[in-house]
Amino acid sequence: MRLENHRLLDALCGEYIIGTLRGGARRRFERAMRSEPRAALRLRYWESIVSPRYSKMIEAQPSPRVWQRLQRELDLARYRMPWHRRAAFWQGWAVAATAALVFTLAMLFLPRPSETLQTVQIARLSGTDGAISVTADLSRDGRTLVLHASRPVLAGPKQSYELWLIPVAGTGPVPVAVLGSLDATFALATAQLGQLRPGSTLAVSTEPAGGSPTGKPTGAVILAGKITG
Amino acid sequence: MLDDKTIKGLLLRSAARDEGSAVAFERLYKMSAPLLLGVAKRIVQRAELAEEVLHDSFVKIWDAADSFDPLATQPVAWMVAIVRNRAIDTRSCHDVSRVQSYHDDALEDPDGTLDRLFEWAEGADDLEDRRRAADWLRECLTRLQGVERQSLVLAYVQGLSHSELAAHLEKPLGTVKSWVRRGMANLRQCVETCMGIAR
Repeated sequence: MRLENHRLLDALCGEYIIGTLRGGARRRFERAMRSEPRAALRLRYWESIVSPRYSKMIEAQPSPRVWQRLQRELDLARYRMPWHRRAAFWQGWAVAATAALVFTLAMLFLPRPSETLQTVQIARLSGTDGAISVTADLSRDGRTLVLHASRPVLAGPKQSYELWLIPVAGTGPVPVAVLGSLDATFALATAQLGQLRPGSTLAVSTEPAGGSPTGKPTGAVILAGKITG
Repeated sequence: MLDDKTIKGLLLRSAARDEGSAVAFERLYKMSAPLLLGVAKRIVQRAELAEEVLHDSFVKIWDAADSFDPLATQPVAWMVAIVRNRAIDTRSCHDVSRVQSYHDDALEDPDGTLDRLFEWAEGADDLEDRRRAADWLRECLTRLQGVERQSLVLAYVQGLSHSELAAHLEKPLGTVKSWVRRGMANLRQCVETCMGIAR
């Protein structure tokens, strides 16, 4: 049945909008609206006349389950930007990767600790519970720092330890090294040569793998100790 | 009040099926679900059924987003129509009328009901002619005969069928059918007169 010139077109539009056109009759009407442009135009005209907007007062909060189920059933994860394309990820990655690179280079170019490396203990770092302590020894030429833990401690797969220098001057923590283990030997950066002065503090925080993404400690400080000598 | 322009943008973004679609669809849901749930609840009367309707409607909105024609249709009205149709179908399979009696507001206080259920004030983004159309509709609804207005409001807001209306208003089916049909025709004629295009 073609509706375009049907004498009941207006009546059907009205019934459709008000909701009394039901079941098979409604489906036939909807099909006609898709295939008969002039009839569809008439329905739009009706809609432009009778389209009351509901008031905010009728609103009701759905339970979170509805959205969770929709997300799952429509598999919306397919239409989210993958994690490796998001800007925030790359910004974080860049910082972490740089820190990791510095760490690797430090390990590569480090003079291998040997019998000849003469060091002097400058600090003892401990935690609040006293379960572990770490000694920090500086080489006599002031270029290499050696950490010894009272027992072996390795960072988990998703974390790193980071050693910080907190100068007396109160400029805030300066990153010294990203560590996978609390037993470590590494060359100090040129900027830090001569900075490990008595009165300053060395501290170790836990950070995401690769080190703090911000350049300042973001995780818990697990060890700290003043430089004494 | 839902802003048609924002809703339109989110619908189109959802239809794009790209990496921003899930986020757009989620925003669309968060913005519009409370209103649409309210619409569904008035028709199916039960909270858990209304949430089922909301779920099914959003599946349809997601699937049909690419057939939404932004030039032809107002997006909020488009979503409301999907929810109402779904709710009406659900209502007819669940025999809702036995669960809870209808609200009688529309009979006893038609003007108050119209103002509680609908928003007549203009939105910030409204075009002049849309604002005027809302005024005219409000005016013309109040000018209808009481029985016509009651039938239309009950059918629209609570999703009552002709036979449910007849049972509720305790009138013969034929009488109620003609109230609905005549009510809609009169409503249209009245709005057209306001628009200055009546025959």
